[in-house]
Amino acid sequence: MTEEKQSEYMELLLDHIMKKCLWQFHSRAWDRERQNEHILGMTCDLLCGEEIVPSTPEDKCYYADALDLSRAYRNKFGWLDDLSAQEIRQVMQALREKLDYLTITGSLNEELTDTHY
Amino acid sequence: MPYHLFKCSESIPEREKHAVIKGEGEDLSDALPLGYLNTIPGTLSERGCAYCGAKHVIGTPMKDVIHLSHGPVGCTYDTWQTKRYISDNDNFQLKYTFATDMKEQHVVFGAEEQLRKSIKEAFAAFPDIKRMTIYQTCASALIGDDIEALANEIMDEMPDVDIFVCNSPGFGGPSQSGGHHKINIAWVNQKVGTVEPEIKSDYVINYVGEYNIQGDQEVMNDFFRRMGIQVLSTFTGNGSYDDLRGMHKAQLNVLECARSAEYICNELRVRYGIPRLDIDGFGFEPLSASLRKVATFFGIEDRAEAIISEETARWKPELEWYKARLQGKKVCLWPGGSKLWHWANAIHEEMGVEVVSVYTKFGHQGDMEKGISRCEVGALAIDDPNELEGMEAMETLKPDCIFTGKRPGEVAKKVRVPYLNAHAYHNGPWKGYEGWVRFARDIYDAVYSPIHELSLLDISKDEIPTDKGFVTRQMLSDVNLPAEVRDDPNLREYTGAIDSVARLREREYPEFVLTETGEADADASLKIGA
Repeated sequence: MTEEKQSEYMELLLDHIMKKCLWQFHSRAWDRERQNEHILGMTCDLLCGEEIVPSTPEDKCYYADALDLSRAYRNKFGWLDDLSAQEIRQVMQALREKLDYLTITGSLNEELTDTHY
Repeated sequence: MPYHLFKCSESIPEREKHAVIKGEGEDLSDALPLGYLNTIPGTLSERGCAYCGAKHVIGTPMKDVIHLSHGPVGCTYDTWQTKRYISDNDNFQLKYTFATDMKEQHVVFGAEEQLRKSIKEAFAAFPDIKRMTIYQTCASALIGDDIEALANEIMDEMPDVDIFVCNSPGFGGPSQSGGHHKINIAWVNQKVGTVEPEIKSDYVINYVGEYNIQGDQEVMNDFFRRMGIQVLSTFTGNGSYDDLRGMHKAQLNVLECARSAEYICNELRVRYGIPRLDIDGFGFEPLSASLRKVATFFGIEDRAEAIISEETARWKPELEWYKARLQGKKVCLWPGGSKLWHWANAIHEEMGVEVVSVYTKFGHQGDMEKGISRCEVGALAIDDPNELEGMEAMETLKPDCIFTGKRPGEVAKKVRVPYLNAHAYHNGPWKGYEGWVRFARDIYDAVYSPIHELSLLDISKDEIPTDKGFVTRQMLSDVNLPAEVRDDPNLREYTGAIDSVARLREREYPEFVLTETGEADADASLKIGA
């Protein structure tokens, strides 16, 4: 997969999250890091065909969002069927970096570092 | 994404950082409106105060409570007519409003005795109500009345009553949002954990940030109950005081309005380990995804799918009828806080309208992040607009309809822009599948009502045509539709009842099943699915 293709795919996945999801916009930076890491991590595993058995309430919550996202991706983006697991992981890694940038490191939201909820 | 300075605000250059136009190829790291800041001197804000946010938005939807304002009687203004958070106990919290009626003499000599007298009078007048919230106001905060101490004295004296004290004076924040925060934290500090609720199901949630506007909560509760989920409490629409004291026993907090109630969800997560799941109750696709996610959390997805199939089959043909006729209409989403992001994408995709502007009166930058993300390119996003900016935006964008509050809505009417009440709705509820169709119908009625054409005529000088004047909505809305759409037998106008909530109160649900193992009973599952 070329870098251009990877970038194109990543932007499509990103656009879906930004238009349809809410979990990436929790109110604090540390909370967003946690959400992005776990939900995108589980989504990636699901897209790669791995089984997830969430055990804690927190994990079940991540899993609910991840399962919904992975199903939406499969329904919406037929090109995912043509990618190998390794290629999916590459795209998802790029997605995680971009989402972290938009919602955390590059975010202009001045409340993100507030120490109180 | 360039920042945008309105012409009318050129003398207030600080306002430039509060408005942004979403540009092609740009993202949230390029520009984001400032938010949740003190209103800039010189601009006339449309915001409410922190007392209003605590009492009128969050506190008062609690249904079985005497809501007493410790302050001047005018602070209790928002009641039956302006707030439509109904309840299934004959709307007690809307019909009666209470104030200690503080006057100048109380400011000089203290108002604690006035408060004591008012508390006793209120409980005596409504002997069936044993719960009370007392709201501090600017006046009582400034003179330093010790409301907690007095409440404790009363509770010692009257052991069958319970009182919650909310210290959120009007000046306690830049907007009503400051009051949302204060009452969230006050409730979790003072009341959560003081009642042990009865657990009746293996699946138990708190439904948080839901205010039962025209019955929204009852619509969503219906879905949850059909899924066999026990809604332990609703924070706070149609919610019961004692149920909300037992919030700590839920397995999941389902959060609707993150602007007003994420604080209590976050605290419940930290203090009690209850995770938070953010959902959308508006729009077919977002609502379906939300029901699926809640069901996934509990491992009962089949129950969600049954509801989604049934509701979609019943209501989608009606939504599509309106979508065909609303295609390309320009709308401004100008609500208070969360609805700009709840609606921005769903209304575009499912009703075909173009969202040309979003604004928030009291939202934070996080709300703008969500709202701008969900808009299409070209939308104008405004934080805490003043009235002149709203007028300028309407002149520039020429929307077919705006969704906003009563005050800016009446201004819009004067320039012949139809408006729908985004806070209290027109013919709600607007949540749920049927509710989303009701919203579409309200938009359709607003956009195509002949009254807006007629109101453009000035009877003092325009020549009034006498040979025409009879128009119907169909003549206006269907005239340019292709015949196959106009005559599509599969599409139809809204066919629900005027009151879509009353029947839900009569509905019978399967008994909740509580098992020792935490596994749901199979027979019950089948019954619920049916």
